[in-house]
Amino acid sequence: MNPSFIALVVALPLLAAFLLPLVPKVLRRLVGPLVLLVVAALGMALWQASLSEPLVLAVGGFRPPLGIVFYVDSVAALFVLAVALVTLLLWPWGGDASENLDRKQSLTLVLAAACAGLTVSGDLFNVYVFYELAAVTSYGLAAGSRTAAAQVATFRYVILGSLGSLLALIGITLIYFRSGTLNLAHLADLAPQTLHDPLGLAAFFLILLGLGVKAELFLVNTWAPEVYATAEARVSALLAGLVSKLALLVVARLLVLVFPLPEAREALLVLGMLGMISGEFAAYRARDIKRMLAWSSIGQLGAAFIAFAIPGPAGVAAGLAIALHHLVVKPALFLLAERWGGSLARLAGAARRSPLGAALFALFALSLIGVPPLPGFWAKYLLLSGLAAQPDNLYLLAGLVVLVTTVVEAVYLFRVVGVMYGREAKGEDAGLTNTGSANTQPASALAGSGVFAALLLAAALAAPLLAAPLGRMATQMSDGAAYVARVLPSTATLSGAAQ
Amino acid sequence: MNALDLLLSLSALMLLAAFLFGQTRVYPWLAGILFTGQLVLLAGSDLPMAAGVGLEIFGQQVGWQLDGFGRYFALITIGAALASNVYMGGEWGERYQADGHSLRWLHAALAGNVLAMLLLLSSKDLIAFFIGWELTSWAGFLLMAQGGERALRAALRYVPYAMGGAMAVLGGLVLTLSWTGTLDLLELSRVMSTLGNGQLALLLALFAIGFSIKMGLLPFHLWQAPAYAEAAGPGTAFLGAISARMGLFALGILLVKLMTLSRVADLAFIDGLFTARDLLAWVAALTIVLPTFTALKQNDARYLLAWHGIGQGGYMLLGIVMGDATGSAGGLLHVFNYATYQAALVLAVFAVMHRTGTADLNSLGGLVTRMPLTFLVMLLGIIGLAGLPPMNGFVSKWLVYRSLMVEGRPLLFLMTVIGTLGTILSVYKLIHNTFLGQLRAEHEHIREAPWSMTVPMLALVILAFVTGVAPGLALSWVAEAQAALGLPVLAYTLGGIESPRGSLDMLWIVGVLFAGFGIGALLFYGAGGRSKRVHQLDNYAGGHFLSADVRYHYSDHFYAGLMHRIGPLYRGSFTWLESAVASATDLAASLMQAWYRQAVPALTLLVAAVLGLGWMVWR
Repeated sequence: MNPSFIALVVALPLLAAFLLPLVPKVLRRLVGPLVLLVVAALGMALWQASLSEPLVLAVGGFRPPLGIVFYVDSVAALFVLAVALVTLLLWPWGGDASENLDRKQSLTLVLAAACAGLTVSGDLFNVYVFYELAAVTSYGLAAGSRTAAAQVATFRYVILGSLGSLLALIGITLIYFRSGTLNLAHLADLAPQTLHDPLGLAAFFLILLGLGVKAELFLVNTWAPEVYATAEARVSALLAGLVSKLALLVVARLLVLVFPLPEAREALLVLGMLGMISGEFAAYRARDIKRMLAWSSIGQLGAAFIAFAIPGPAGVAAGLAIALHHLVVKPALFLLAERWGGSLARLAGAARRSPLGAALFALFALSLIGVPPLPGFWAKYLLLSGLAAQPDNLYLLAGLVVLVTTVVEAVYLFRVVGVMYGREAKGEDAGLTNTGSANTQPASALAGSGVFAALLLAAALAAPLLAAPLGRMATQMSDGAAYVARVLPSTATLSGAAQ
Repeated sequence: MNALDLLLSLSALMLLAAFLFGQTRVYPWLAGILFTGQLVLLAGSDLPMAAGVGLEIFGQQVGWQLDGFGRYFALITIGAALASNVYMGGEWGERYQADGHSLRWLHAALAGNVLAMLLLLSSKDLIAFFIGWELTSWAGFLLMAQGGERALRAALRYVPYAMGGAMAVLGGLVLTLSWTGTLDLLELSRVMSTLGNGQLALLLALFAIGFSIKMGLLPFHLWQAPAYAEAAGPGTAFLGAISARMGLFALGILLVKLMTLSRVADLAFIDGLFTARDLLAWVAALTIVLPTFTALKQNDARYLLAWHGIGQGGYMLLGIVMGDATGSAGGLLHVFNYATYQAALVLAVFAVMHRTGTADLNSLGGLVTRMPLTFLVMLLGIIGLAGLPPMNGFVSKWLVYRSLMVEGRPLLFLMTVIGTLGTILSVYKLIHNTFLGQLRAEHEHIREAPWSMTVPMLALVILAFVTGVAPGLALSWVAEAQAALGLPVLAYTLGGIESPRGSLDMLWIVGVLFAGFGIGALLFYGAGGRSKRVHQLDNYAGGHFLSADVRYHYSDHFYAGLMHRIGPLYRGSFTWLESAVASATDLAASLMQAWYRQAVPALTLLVAAVLGLGWMVWR
């Protein structure tokens, strides 16, 4: 496959976003979905091509490390596919004034382009650019529901996000200052001499904190519950499901390529554990379903950080499994929660009014807590067996944290299932219950989460078949030397020149 | 397709059928035929039954194979399901549906439980085992949650216990994989006992905690009584009969097959004085005594039986932990025996509920004349539960007692006797308050339960009686289970056991018992056989005639004198412990929420960045 197609996955949605207002009204609603379908097809093709060998595109023909590099291994290709599919499933179809809808569709397309760009970027400069692009569009989308609460929450998000970007930028500057390059392959090559010291680690930590804002990393994730609770369900789903994973992916790449150091892993491990503990316990007392899902997603991201902290392909495989599983489950849950706002008590008897919605909720909850044979179990199994295989006790402690928080997770999720399947409130409490059609899901949300559920069940049935490609992707991603060799075929001369 | 494939396919087919048309009248017949077919298939197949299908996932082989130990539990599972299925196939199910419940889901939950348990019982490696374990837990949850708001609440209380147990098992599983490099049960039976004491102790703790929760061993037993008692009738019978025994199955595999009891006895707390094996034995003994006396206090017949279910599990584990041929046979045989009479008793209580609408022991009485067959079932059932001849409960308990005496554990023996004493007291309360004494005026027109309900109940107590008279019938399965697990095998006869240190022949015992009845009858009829039928309400007290409107049935504060003595011993410590854990979780949750509600996140970010940088530089 011609590597030039890689540029299209970023360029097409970006172009479409800016041209959207110029398209005739009749066709306007079709542009976004069509573009996303094309990107999805490209992602699929890239994935198949890259399973054997990663693809590299030097934009404009400038040889790396000078020009812009797009690097697509099977993981990046899969995430391109995921970006397109998830954005398509969470597409803003309507229900808004036309002008407003145009804006939302444009923003969503820009977000998709930025996300695709984050996955394929081969240098830190582009990573920063696309990260900023994703950040700014997500501010716009988060404030899009136009309620006062959403705007207050978004304001907090903007402050944290900008500070985070600033920290990441300082980190990148430090790296550039030490090594004189921002190309990831080149950095991987130079890192042992230039960056494996306290200053290099400081740079990594700053970037970790900066990108961590989007990846819901503990310490910098305090924006998440309010934003997810007040934004439109679709937007929460995008942010929690998609954007967080891509920030995580960038961190994981940095960890594998540039900072494969025990100190860096330790930082990830500790912050991941704190994220799991804080997220899952906070969700335990959540009084409404959207905040509960937000905290649960903080916990899940914590698990993914823990997974990526495990050295070698085992860690990458576990991290990918958790990230992909969460990518399917959490958007679906947010879609279901769209009409289930307000106090949890108002959900009493929701299963009668929306049987399919409640059943899907129970299914996703089961997978989220890792009940076999659903895919969530395999993700958790990979994570725990990876942790148990490490000699360091800190990893065993992380395993304990995962086990304990899973129990907490099961309790709060099934408390909701219990409320939904329980008796409807009578007498005085009846006023609190949404009756009639109030909390039945709109068809589009049900269909969306139905597709996610189909994906989940297909993955459960095909689990034995998925193991091999997952292992292949993990080996590919965790092999830093191969990355360098692929991007810089003449590595020896380059590192010679640097010395 | 071989036998195990066929068995599992039949089970899966039933689950599908239950979902599709579980609410129709045809389904119970179909399910009855399929369950019977499964029983025949299971009993008639050569062991071990291996599944033709196996998977490889993430480098692990996942496969299924049923040996004698698994088959023993599988037979009981399907038998209990068959009885429950017949029971709910008739009038009970119609009433259940008319009350607005979903019979389809109840049937589906039952079929799902059977499938999950079969998968668990035939697991060949720890992955298959864990899949079966989790499916059993959640299928059990589904069965518990049906039957109204209280059932749902009780089932939700089970969730943290079940998940805690599952996570302990999963933790043990990944550590096992990391330390031994395999998850295959056969392979593990060779290598696990060679692990060092520290590793073995940690694995034992994790697995044993996980398995004890399902079994309802102290101190993890609180969930079980409400969850089982509040479920829909036949669901309660099935859960009570076999569900908790999955924990025993797993403990048996862990203690005997994988770790071996002698290795467990190596793990000493105080050198040579108290070992992990002793700890297990004492936990089992305490599980016999404390829940049994909690059962004594219950005023709801369903709760009374459910609490006994927890206590009876103690006998089973105690027998297995003794590890000799007699004790382990007693423990294993008790699984079958207990399942027969417990299912019968629960079904009898629900038959009474079906007619009277209550299981409250203070609002019943005198039903013996109205529901004589149900009375007979309960009478035989409680004789079994109390462990008296001629019912089968006597045989298994006798084997356990004998093992304790022969092996020189007098204190444990004393505990079992105290437990049995409590059992006798409370089952008398059960039958007295339900069937004996004064009939309440509102129950004047009660009829016997319909045949769909009495037939499975009677079949179960007949089975309990027959295997009490000829325990050899069930002991052949037990011997097979012992052999499969690697325990010494009991030398049994049709009537019991033949041993130089004391035999047991139930054929003789029952023969003498009935000869005694016969002599009594001869004397009575030889003396003319004079008797006079008195109406139940024709009674007097203190020289006054009593009529139906005067309440004299003594049920409130039953055993008031005894309770006066032992009442202060009930401390509710476990309930306190449970609520303490819940409060601690709540507190932790509030603290975490406070973190997310902080007013100045930017400042936190700054502080975090500075601290993190400091840490990185300091490292």
